[in-house]
Amino acid sequence: MNIVVLIKFVPDLVEDLEIDASTSLLDRSFLRLIPNELDEHALEEAILLKERLGGTVTAITVDFGDVDETLFTAVAKGTDRVVKITGEDFSQGVSNEKLAAIFQGVLADLPCDLILTGTQAVDDLDGFVGALLAERLGLPYVGYVTKIDVQDGKLVARKEYPGGLNADIEISGPAVLGIQAAEKPPRYVVTSKVMEAMKKASIDEQEAGEASVEAELPVQRMSLPETGARAEMIEGSAADVAAALLKLFRERGVLA
Amino acid sequence: MTAKTIIVLLGFLAAFSLFAYRVYIRFRHMRLGQPAGPFDRWGARLGSVLEFVAAQARLFRYPGTGLAHFFIFWGFVLLFPTILQAILEGLVPGLVLPVVATFGPVVLLQDLIALTVILGVLYGLYYRLIVRPERYKGSHQFEGNLVLVFIFTIMVTLLCSNGIRQNLGAARVAAGWQPVSALLGKPFAGLSPHAQEIVEQVCWWVHLGVVLVFLTLLPLGKHFHVVTSIFNVLLRNLEPPGRLAPPVRVDGSEGAGRVEHFTWRQMLDWYSCSECGRCQDVCPAYNSGAPLSPKLLIMGLRAHLLERGNALLAQNGQAATQKAVLDKRLTGDVLPDDVLWACTTCYACDQECPLFVEHVQPIVDMRRYLLTQQRGDQQLTAALESLRRYGNSFGKSDKQRAKWTTGLDFNVKDVRKQPAKTLWFVGDYASYSPALTEVTQATARVFQRAGLDFGVLYDAERNAGNDVRRAGEEGLFELLAQKNAAALAKCQFEEIVTTDPHSYNTLKNEYPAGLGAAGVSPAIYHYSEVLDRAIQSGQLTLRRKLDYTVTYHDPCYLGRYNGVYEAPRRVLAALGCRIIEMPRNRDRALCCGAGGGRIWMDEGKVKERPSENRVREAAGLPGVDCFVVACPKDLTMYRDAVKTAGLEERLIVKDLAELVEEACAGGPQPCGANALPVDTQAGSPCHT
Repeated sequence: MNIVVLIKFVPDLVEDLEIDASTSLLDRSFLRLIPNELDEHALEEAILLKERLGGTVTAITVDFGDVDETLFTAVAKGTDRVVKITGEDFSQGVSNEKLAAIFQGVLADLPCDLILTGTQAVDDLDGFVGALLAERLGLPYVGYVTKIDVQDGKLVARKEYPGGLNADIEISGPAVLGIQAAEKPPRYVVTSKVMEAMKKASIDEQEAGEASVEAELPVQRMSLPETGARAEMIEGSAADVAAALLKLFRERGVLA
Repeated sequence: MTAKTIIVLLGFLAAFSLFAYRVYIRFRHMRLGQPAGPFDRWGARLGSVLEFVAAQARLFRYPGTGLAHFFIFWGFVLLFPTILQAILEGLVPGLVLPVVATFGPVVLLQDLIALTVILGVLYGLYYRLIVRPERYKGSHQFEGNLVLVFIFTIMVTLLCSNGIRQNLGAARVAAGWQPVSALLGKPFAGLSPHAQEIVEQVCWWVHLGVVLVFLTLLPLGKHFHVVTSIFNVLLRNLEPPGRLAPPVRVDGSEGAGRVEHFTWRQMLDWYSCSECGRCQDVCPAYNSGAPLSPKLLIMGLRAHLLERGNALLAQNGQAATQKAVLDKRLTGDVLPDDVLWACTTCYACDQECPLFVEHVQPIVDMRRYLLTQQRGDQQLTAALESLRRYGNSFGKSDKQRAKWTTGLDFNVKDVRKQPAKTLWFVGDYASYSPALTEVTQATARVFQRAGLDFGVLYDAERNAGNDVRRAGEEGLFELLAQKNAAALAKCQFEEIVTTDPHSYNTLKNEYPAGLGAAGVSPAIYHYSEVLDRAIQSGQLTLRRKLDYTVTYHDPCYLGRYNGVYEAPRRVLAALGCRIIEMPRNRDRALCCGAGGGRIWMDEGKVKERPSENRVREAAGLPGVDCFVVACPKDLTMYRDAVKTAGLEERLIVKDLAELVEEACAGGPQPCGANALPVDTQAGSPCHT
């Protein structure tokens, strides 16, 4: 089975996030970008599948900045081919709509049996990329997948629903799956193997084609959580507190 | 040629051939190992043989059995000519070795040493059979006892034979030179000369027979050390204990995943293990109930080398058996993963081994392999992931590394921008652990008070990598070391001081030379040494005498690994503290359990945590209510341990720097270190 994994880079939340002067974007000047955690789970799931069923794994990301190390680490983990999409300055971030369009362009020349990506990313929590891409490619999409299995020669994706419910969804033909968690936590490969991958493997750089996007969801304003009025502590004896409460209820119109 | 001569000759040839064959097999197995050496510094090596083989220096760390072994060893050496004499007598009737069999004083020495061997053997049997110490658990005890009985028999038959010869007037020296033999001969004096001759002959045959049987058994087990120990000590590791060897890389694998991935020198170690269990006795993992015993680890490696060596070298034969042996995994089947992860790399085992068998190095070699196979535990690999991404195990931004400095009322120099005499390598725990911020700030304030011209690397500092390396992640260690070295190369400083003994160890012993700007190697100190220097030189003025009774815990990487025992004690004494030592102190100090990456790993199932065992040891000291540490990891571990052991009311854990700051602060009038007034208000110190 040939699997493609799509990786998006997101701001590292260990850093203090700041909003830039436009008030609609994060200030990315000192931002550290890291691969989206669920995309790393998608990669792990892909490698687990390859180990079970054979085939190849291709990891694709967009040149957000320092992405090479992540790609070489993917090689050290067992990825066969790594692709970096270049051609534009993506360092200010890419909308999910555009990202889906860019991935569509690359996937046109890359036939595969399964496309995995994280079901959502911490930067927007929209979970759009997988679904938009599936729509563009005319493939089925299942999100919140926690396990992929082969039963009677058919792929079965386990989707996690709220409230502890699971559904096993049979998939025929190629599909896009949004991974919620790999069956095992993403593996750690030793640094020497990453270094070896840096020496031996090469990153396949591909220019992004014309990515036509019909509609995007622009962010109008971004803000830190705003603190409302502070809580008021009512202190004193039980009688005092009761009196104060009554007074408050009357003021706020709860009691006549 | 008499029948006796033929029997002796055949017996001797058979025994010696079997012995030689068994040694040869083991030698061939050793040659399956990786190359080792080159070996240099032969003067130091010969000195080691004198100290540790001839004088048996390390054996005396256990005085009773040490003395017994000393006598048995020297008995073996001094009585070797008598054994030779017995064999030669059998081959060439009437042959007498000159001097060793004829010179009175030499014979007297032999006679007396034989007695001490008998006493040593009896003590050994008493110790093994009656005392039955825990450390022999898992050793080949039958073999141990059998060999003691052998030696006893060899000695008694020798002395009886000598005594009867005295009775019969057939001795080669006067009876006065053989008092012990004469005494043992006495009971037989009443027999007829003919009967005595028969007894003497029986003694002689038993003597020779047991000697030859013993010879054939030597290579098979723990008594091979009789042969290998000289070579093992001669070729011992002369590097500083805190310097690990880099991994062996074979066929794309890193570390030891197969027994033949170890060096032949390491295999010689295993042949030399006498299963005495001193390593196990002092092992914090073993004593906490963790699955590791350093002794059983070495015995397991030895046994596996034998079976795998045989299977690898077999030309033909039972293919199925061979395949089963060859399929056995070194890590997993022979030594389960949890055994290898249990080690805290505290060095107590290596230091205790009388024959310099190394345990930590092979454990790290196998951990290296386990990590390449993605067999590290979840918490450990998460920590390694953080270390690779952020340079610290806390998973925090490097920009927050020096956040602790914001609580100070002075600025700490950024040594990347301004030169400073002392570069303070703060370390992960002291920098990031919220629980340690106050202690790190106290250390900074004391440095400031001492007029130390110091600075820190701010966000350019990375974890030094000591424990990353010992967890088996060599590539990450190299990466961290490169980043630190690159940052240091851009700074102007003369010396480095570390908070963490673990950073101290790796910077001092494992980093490349020439860490300073001009490629000059700076001196590396631990903060306890810098505080000691500041107090002794009078740069740091102590204003108040701390009238406390404390105990001090030696960190493994400061004490055992680097021999710094006195500096922190001198500081405590200068502060006015009375130090009551724990029974296990200095090089026998018990590890807190955090080293070698253990602090990042899942704790696993244990009977009693080493740290809790340690604080209970301290709580057993009358009058001591303060447990002083000089390591940020210790502070973390022991503050936790006093809580979990329910000793919060009994003991308080303090960092050395906290006490120094307390002694610097306030007080009625400033005074020099030499004229300290006792602060009568001090009371019970630590609980105020």
